[in-house]
Amino acid sequence: MELDVRGEICPYPMMKAVEAMKKLEGSDSVVVITDHAPCLETIPPQAGRFGYICEIEETGSPEWKISLIPKGENQE
Amino acid sequence: MTTQVNNIGGTPVNPPTILRTHNLAAISVLIGSLALAVYMSGVDPVLAPLWLLGIMAGFTLQRSRFCFASAFRDLFLFGNSKILKGILVGLSISTIGFAINMYGMVPFPNFGVLPSEANILPFGISTIFAGIIFGFGMVISGGCVSGSLYRMAEGYISSWVSIGGVLIGLGLISQSWNWWWTNFISNEEKIWIPSKLDLGYGGAVVVTLSLLFIVFLFLVWWESRVGLSMPDMKRKEEPNDTFNEKLGSIWNTIFVRGWSPIVGGGILGGIVVLMYLSHMPWGVTGELTRWSNNIMTFMNMAPPDALGLSELGGCAGRADESGFFSHTFAVTVGILPGSFIAALFSREFKLRFPQNRKRYIQALGGGVIMGYGAGLAIGCTVGAFFSAVPSLSLSGWLFAASLACGSFIGVQAIKRIS
Repeated sequence: MELDVRGEICPYPMMKAVEAMKKLEGSDSVVVITDHAPCLETIPPQAGRFGYICEIEETGSPEWKISLIPKGENQE
Repeated sequence: MTTQVNNIGGTPVNPPTILRTHNLAAISVLIGSLALAVYMSGVDPVLAPLWLLGIMAGFTLQRSRFCFASAFRDLFLFGNSKILKGILVGLSISTIGFAINMYGMVPFPNFGVLPSEANILPFGISTIFAGIIFGFGMVISGGCVSGSLYRMAEGYISSWVSIGGVLIGLGLISQSWNWWWTNFISNEEKIWIPSKLDLGYGGAVVVTLSLLFIVFLFLVWWESRVGLSMPDMKRKEEPNDTFNEKLGSIWNTIFVRGWSPIVGGGILGGIVVLMYLSHMPWGVTGELTRWSNNIMTFMNMAPPDALGLSELGGCAGRADESGFFSHTFAVTVGILPGSFIAALFSREFKLRFPQNRKRYIQALGGGVIMGYGAGLAIGCTVGAFFSAVPSLSLSGWLFAASLACGSFIGVQAIKRIS
């Protein structure tokens, strides 16, 4: 599942990521696309609460792809 | 819009040309700001250090993503207290610095004289009401006054709208200030901790530091209850062998990667002490009040003369400073170039327009409410809190507690605004 939250500022990107992880319950990964740097601090700590791990990739300036991957699932 | 997605195998994310333009722009703004500092020192010698400290504050705010609004909000929203801990570190440093400075001015605190320029503000109903609406407004708009100022320079359009709202809110309080003064503020005491119970400076510092430590323990407990922890994340290995690579790594640590809020809070604590040593503690509401009053005067809606303001310290008491380059201008507007330079070096500058139209209304409405609260409290999260607690004013604590209540209400509201 992909969440494009470019243009959104705190707390919405984190709220939407949490909402998505809650809904998916580990059945799918969540990819958050954001241009708001504070998300890099606020989203990762939420991952563990829902059984997800977190990877961040810088994809532009400023743009990041935060991948939330269910624990145990094969990482590429 | 195309973006460069490939960051594997050492392909740089930012083409060198973008890098070069951003760095050149940052250096030009820096040179311009320094030139202005030279000019200002001709107008008034104290302006230049205040301006440079304002720039450093803006730089630090951007680098550590220091946001008072999220500090309070995230505690309730997701149990995250990282920035609040940064604030505690900053307050511990500034409390000691301020006490030494105030001791130099007023060695005997129980004689009934308050140190000049300290942010010792009225303690009462007005403080509580102002804190609650400010806390509510900052959560709705997505940033407090200082937060919106530094985000303006990062290119967030919604922050420009928020500051517009703050100016309107400050206008409304200027128009209704005398009612508040007559009914409430004139009866409220300014409680300066060193002058109470024979505490003196030593006692007041111990009381303040102990309270900060109790809050810290509370935060640790709160976080353990929610179960949050920053996961270990793979970070790209940076080459760090040759001289150039080592320099590059230092550069990245300072200018590219974000700082921890603990580092940011500590530096901001040091900056407010230096501001107070130069002339006055940090505050941004006074300058914005000045703008708001000037705009209203221009529109033939000049507010009535504010009763009692001259006997109050804090931000709004400085709103009658004259001249364009005032002391409040230096410490407020300085945030903009500071944050802009930081955002350019870290390539985080971008004009961002909210996709969701509702955000504009939130920014404006939250800004108006926040502006009214800042005017009533005679300061925002900076002036009535971050500079008031180290001034050993009890009002800083009451304002902070009220901010927390207001943020809690605000969080319940934004959960319902998707």
